[in-house]
Parts: sequence; structure tokens; C-alpha cells
Amino acid sequence: MTTLAFVALIAALIFLRQRIVVILGVAAGWCYVVWGDGELGYVVLDAWAAADQEVLLSIPLFILAGNIMSRGSIAERLIAVMKIATAPIPGGLAIATILSCAFFAAISGSSTVTLIAVGAIMYPALLKAGYSKSFALGALCAAGTLGIIVPPSIPLILYGVMTETSIADLFIAGVGPAILLTAILSSYALVVNWDRGSAALTLSELGHAIGHGVFALLMPVIILGGIYLGFFTATESAAVAVFYAIIVELFIHREMKLPDLEEAAIETATMLGSLIPMLMMALSINTFLAYEQVPVMLVDALTETVTDPTAFLIMAIFALLVVGCFMDIGSAILILAPLLAPLAFAQGIDPVHFGIIMIVNLELGYLTPPLGLNLIVAMTAFGEEFWTIARSVLPFLGLMFIGLVIVTFWPGLSLMFLD
Amino acid sequence: MARAERLLAGLLKLERWVALAAFAVMATVVMVDVASREFTGTGISGAPRVAVYAMIVTAMISFGLASGTGRHLRPKFVDRYQPAAWEGWLTRAQEWIMAAFCLTFAIVAVGVVRETYELAEMSRMLRIAIWPMQTVIPIAFFIGAVRHALYALYPELRPKPKGVEPLVR
Repeated sequence: MTTLAFVALIAALIFLRQRIVVILGVAAGWCYVVWGDGELGYVVLDAWAAADQEVLLSIPLFILAGNIMSRGSIAERLIAVMKIATAPIPGGLAIATILSCAFFAAISGSSTVTLIAVGAIMYPALLKAGYSKSFALGALCAAGTLGIIVPPSIPLILYGVMTETSIADLFIAGVGPAILLTAILSSYALVVNWDRGSAALTLSELGHAIGHGVFALLMPVIILGGIYLGFFTATESAAVAVFYAIIVELFIHREMKLPDLEEAAIETATMLGSLIPMLMMALSINTFLAYEQVPVMLVDALTETVTDPTAFLIMAIFALLVVGCFMDIGSAILILAPLLAPLAFAQGIDPVHFGIIMIVNLELGYLTPPLGLNLIVAMTAFGEEFWTIARSVLPFLGLMFIGLVIVTFWPGLSLMFLD
Repeated sequence: MARAERLLAGLLKLERWVALAAFAVMATVVMVDVASREFTGTGISGAPRVAVYAMIVTAMISFGLASGTGRHLRPKFVDRYQPAAWEGWLTRAQEWIMAAFCLTFAIVAVGVVRETYELAEMSRMLRIAIWPMQTVIPIAFFIGAVRHALYALYPELRPKPKGVEPLVR
């Protein structure tokens, strides 16, 4: 009966347009007051304990680094390198778009920022070069989603925090799937644009472009290289990323002034003001669930019905695809990771691998109606109808689903760089 | 309404400065600590704790920034099924419920902070009392309650949803 009332309450809150933080806070309160021992103060105590973790420091720092690097002409510099490097390939401009998105995503850490920054330059360029509107929109929206799997990725950090999985390991594990998805999208661009002309590679031009874009290109290398070689933890690499971003933008590119830095910090703080309270409430629910041994009970119930990891993974994939259609990735991770991860571990699935599966799965949610964030952003940014964009991403969505299946059933792809 | 507007603008300005100051402390402390660890082999004692507390202050004060700029996330998939005529009361209900939520949590958080104070809980690393840092939680929720109550009373003061500038017109 109380479960029914709980579901009705949450449905009413959604109907009354409540923010996720309210929904999670009310859910946490319900857990403690109705199902627990009746103390609302425990929610606040858990929320405090949730925020009082050093591992969370990487979140604001990576967001700040991304905000700083996204303000200058990094996108232009990366695109220049990619355009020249891919000129000898048929459909080179399309491939350059996808590679630019992948690299820019590694710097900005945000799918929508990537879509806007690269799209502002490449969408008109693709149309001018004779690519169809449908292809240009689809390629940009799909490649824009690479931001959440290319490290450093805030969703990967959230998964790590919620399931106590090593964030450094998740970052390293994200590299293989990111390369796979980039390769799949680039191959599609190559195949459908095979009959387009190509140009000769000019080494001097390429050298010049690399010279201009080298500091942007180096950022992911420094972050991931530092983590992979054991020089930095995730938090240390985030601090290095901020330091590097400030040096590059203030003193090397000289495209940022101190007031811009202030704006980047305020923008980051505002994002934190939305994210961290949600995280605090979600972790409060998580603590309650762990205290009441709910994950253990779920595991016991599931192991009676599902005995095969493959069956579990297929169920998880489809459940997450549906969730991705209606929920933003951050909320989905905060709510579902603590419930699904123990089930996956019980099936013998590596926690790092399951994290990658979950993120790639929810990545598809950026492209699915009715709430696909990249569809909505593209609709406003490129001035196209929602359903025109939704149709244009269909082939890319299919390809990314194939990528998801490969990532899911080939653990080695994610775990190959880990000890 | 003019007074409410001035109050909200003043609050937002104050929150910006406090959040910026706390954020600067957090980022500087972490970067100096990491630099010290990389170059001298030892970090600064207690630096990560200071950074964490600064981050909590930043996040909680920025809870107001997110409210004041319309950046809190919410599920929107049922919006399209709600008649346009309901917009007025739905907006007010949304803000009243948010205000009630914030006020409830502010009151509960005051109790928690008082308990921490009475128990004299200390940060083991920094050897300072925890309650002053915890105070930011009731403050943030109380400001949230005031802000959203004003939005409920004067819906025209609500921040406009932040859109994306069209790249192609």
C-alpha cells in the first residue's frame, strides 16, 4: 500500500512540474519517514556525508576546465586540423566533423557544448560543400554525444561516485568504446560519401594547423596519459586540466580575459548548484537502500529469475534505452546506478565494464524523442523542425546501437587498458 | 512587486560573489596541493578537506544561482499533455511546492546543525568544528524557500528558461 502511495506521490510531483532535486528529496524523506525509522534529519545527515567526499572535487574542476576551454577558438583550431588531415579521404569534411566532435568533447566534457561549438562552424560548411541537411544534422547530433563517453566525462564520475567504482579506471575504460563509436560513425560517413571528391594532403598546411591547435590536441593526452601512467588521480588530473586550460587560454591563445574566467567560474558554480544537491539527495536514498539491504534483496530476487548474464545485459540495455528517452543522463545515473550495478556485479559483470555499458546506453538517449537533449539543442541552434532532426539521426542511432551491442558483449574493449 | 524584484536581484548578486569566492578558494587550494605533491612529493596537510568544505559552500550557495537562472533540471515529458489553460496554476503550484520543500529542509537542517554543535563534532584533519560549514545547508534552503515563494506570488519574476542562441537563422 505504501509503495502504491509512493509511486502516486512521485507521479503527482512530476505532473506538478517539480525539479529533480525536489523529487529525490521527497523520495529520500519518504524512505526514512515511512519505510525507515521516522527521522527526516537523516536525509540531511546523509546529504552532508554525500557531499563531504574528496572524490567529488573532480566534478567542478573538470566542468571549469571545459568551460574555460570552450570559450576561446579551440573548436576552430581543432576543426582546421581535422579538415586538412581528412582532405584526401572521400567525405573528408564529414569525417572531420565527427573527429572534431570527438576531440572537442574530450576537452569540453559536454555533449551539447560540443554540438553547438562544432556545429556552428561545420553545419554551414557541410551544407556549402553539398552534403544533405539530413546527413549534416544527423552527423553533428550523433557525434556530439561522444562527449559523455570520451574522458573526462561527468556521467562517468557520477557513476563512479554512486557505485564506489574507480573513476580513473572508468576514464581509461571509456577510451576503447569512444574510439569504436568514433570509428563506426566515421566509417558510415566514408561509405555514404564515397563518391565525393577528395583533395591532396598538404603537409605544410597540416603542420601549420597542428601548430595552431597543438595545445587543444594535447589536453586529452595530458589528462588521460597522466591517469594511465599513474601520475595523477582523477582529482589531480582535474586540477591539472584547470591549470592547463587557464595557462593556454590566458597566456598562449590569449583569447580569454580575467572577466571571462570569472564568468566561466560562475557558470560552473551554477551547474554545481543544480548537480550537487541532486547528488546529495540521491546518495541519501542510496544510503537508505544499502541500510535496508534493498540491493541484496533485489540481487536475490533477480538471481532466482535470471541466471544468465547475457539475459541480464539484454534486459538492462532495453530498460536503459527506455529510461534514456524520458530522463536526462545525470538523473538516470543517480537513480538507477545504485540499483542496477549490484545486479550486474552479482551476474559477474565487471563494475567498470557495466559503468561503460550504462553510459553508452544512456548516450543514445541524447538522440531519442521526446527528450533527446541533442535533438532539442539542434532544433534551436540550427532552426530545424524537431521531427526533421529526429529522422536525420535515425541511421546514426542504428549505428550507435550496434556500437552499444559491441561494447556490451565485448568487455575486453573497455577493460583492455586496465591491469 | 518592485521590492520583491530588487530583493531577488540583490540575492542573486550576493550569491554570485559568495559562490565565486568559495569556488576560487576550492580551485586554488586543490591546484596548490596538487602542485606541491607533484614538485615536493608531499601535499599540504588538510588542503583536500578545506577544498571539500569550499566546494560544499559553493554548491549550496549556487543552489540559489541555479534557481535564479532557471537551471534546475526537471522531467518535462508530461508538459505537452497539459492544457495551455492550466499554465497559470501549474506555475504557481510548482513554485509553492518548491518553496515548501526548501522550507522543510531548512528547518530540518537547522536541527541537524544544532545537534552537530551540541555534540561538538570536529573535522579530524583540520581540528575545527563542523557546524559552521554545515550552516550553509539551512541558509541555502531558507533562501530557496523565500525565492520560490516570491516566484509563486509574482510568476513574472521567474527566470526565463535559458535557450540556445540560433546558429542558423
